[in-house]
Amino acid sequence: MDATSFILPLAEITIAGAIINASVHFVPVGGAPAAMATSTGVGTGTTQLAAGAGFTGLLAAATMASQAGVSLANPVHMLLIMLSGAVGAMIMLGLTMLIGQIIYVYGIGIVPAADKCEKDPITGDIQKPYITPGTTGHGIPTVCFVSGSIGAALGGLGGALAYIALQQLGFAAAIAGVLAVGFFFMNAVLASYNIGGTIEGFHDPKFKKMPNGVIASFVSSLIAGAVLIGMAMGL
Amino acid sequence: MDPTLISLGALALAGAAATVSGCAEDLESDVGSQSNPNSQVQLGPQMGNIHRYFNKAISGEPVSYGLYVAVAGTIAWALINAGLNAVLAIIVGSGVAAIVHGAYSVSAFLGRIVGQSKKFGQPVYMDVLTSHIGPIVGHGFIAVFTMTLAAYLATTALGNPFPLPLVALIFGITVGAIGSSTGDVHYGAEREYQKYPFGGGIPVANQGDIDIYAEYGVRNGLDSSYFCSRFGGPLTGLCFGLIIFLDGWRSILGNIVGGDLVTKTSIALLVGLLVVAVAAVINRKLEVYARNKYGPYRN
Repeated sequence: MDATSFILPLAEITIAGAIINASVHFVPVGGAPAAMATSTGVGTGTTQLAAGAGFTGLLAAATMASQAGVSLANPVHMLLIMLSGAVGAMIMLGLTMLIGQIIYVYGIGIVPAADKCEKDPITGDIQKPYITPGTTGHGIPTVCFVSGSIGAALGGLGGALAYIALQQLGFAAAIAGVLAVGFFFMNAVLASYNIGGTIEGFHDPKFKKMPNGVIASFVSSLIAGAVLIGMAMGL
Repeated sequence: MDPTLISLGALALAGAAATVSGCAEDLESDVGSQSNPNSQVQLGPQMGNIHRYFNKAISGEPVSYGLYVAVAGTIAWALINAGLNAVLAIIVGSGVAAIVHGAYSVSAFLGRIVGQSKKFGQPVYMDVLTSHIGPIVGHGFIAVFTMTLAAYLATTALGNPFPLPLVALIFGITVGAIGSSTGDVHYGAEREYQKYPFGGGIPVANQGDIDIYAEYGVRNGLDSSYFCSRFGGPLTGLCFGLIIFLDGWRSILGNIVGGDLVTKTSIALLVGLLVVAVAAVINRKLEVYARNKYGPYRN
């Protein structure tokens, strides 16, 4: 394998890692407190929700990439695979947030409200009066839904890009899938260290820490990419 | 037969299997008190609430379900490659996964509850262990079987290039993420705190003050699954079923409309974006409904 054929995949893997890390910061995750309607967001862990969405995107991207006539050397086809991943992940997270919202409103009887902003930046609704005293918001207000959709799209995009790069390195679809899952988890976990529990979305003050996470993922993905190239060369 | 029709049939079956799977997964996690609301069951004895809930959350729901479904998928895959009928192979694989699940549940329950016995006086009720383990393993079997079936359909009829064990692992992680995001909210914020008036989140000051009495007698995990099977469980199933169905349907729709690769994929992408946009609009409608119906807590 000559040098030029692995520089592009290495760059793609590194960028994919940084995108996956950035994506996790957009996903409104409230962890166990959100399952008790004590904080705003979806009631599960950061890594797990981002991974659930990202993997649905990965399945969509892999199905697209395996279609007859798709060439990984064609930039248009690469773009279509990445967009397939993005839309697949958006569907997963969008429906999860919607069904969660139905349970919050009809099963728990709460008003969706964000604690980290006075007014919803998208709808302009005032938030504070609707928050149950003693909690830090609850449910999935519109700003969280929009932020989550952006995060899911980025996650699907990043996962698909990593998958494309692994296929360009010569791995079979099955092996590329296993490696992409591991690679996604690595970057999602790095992001969750940066977030440290809960985040509401792009309006949350913790979102400002995103550049640190992206740099960390950039470096670790570069190293992971070098190891993967070694594997592809049979070292 | 027309390949499109076969794809549509397989997709419908996969969607139905995923719906059953999501529902069974959520109800299993309610009986076994796994995932997020488990933090409250764990906190209960420290707040003086001696309870008879099962308690088995050592890892999160997505990770543990990823394990079970991957076990089932791996064994089924090996048996299919050895020449066994696919349905039988999936049943055998799910059976082994159910045994793994049972072993995990027993050790997790004993470990968690014993950890609270000496300091907080929480007894280890052996009858809770024996009465809950059947419904846990049974619900778990249904969830794992239907999910492995959906994964098998995805690899054989819906054009997924990954091998069965990997698709099974991904489906397991996804269903765990959905179950703990949606159904657990109904169990955690509503069922565990029914002595507080309906409506509103659980203030931090009330956390750990879980209900230990049910409609009759002392409450246990079986009551939780009875309660949650009327709302949280079915909605979780609907969520996973819709995701599998709509994500597959948009690609098949592109194939039906036809054209070259770019046209077909563009149609699939546009339909997917439309689904997300509709979800966003309904989400907003629900938010407005709740604001008007319930009103503010303070003016």
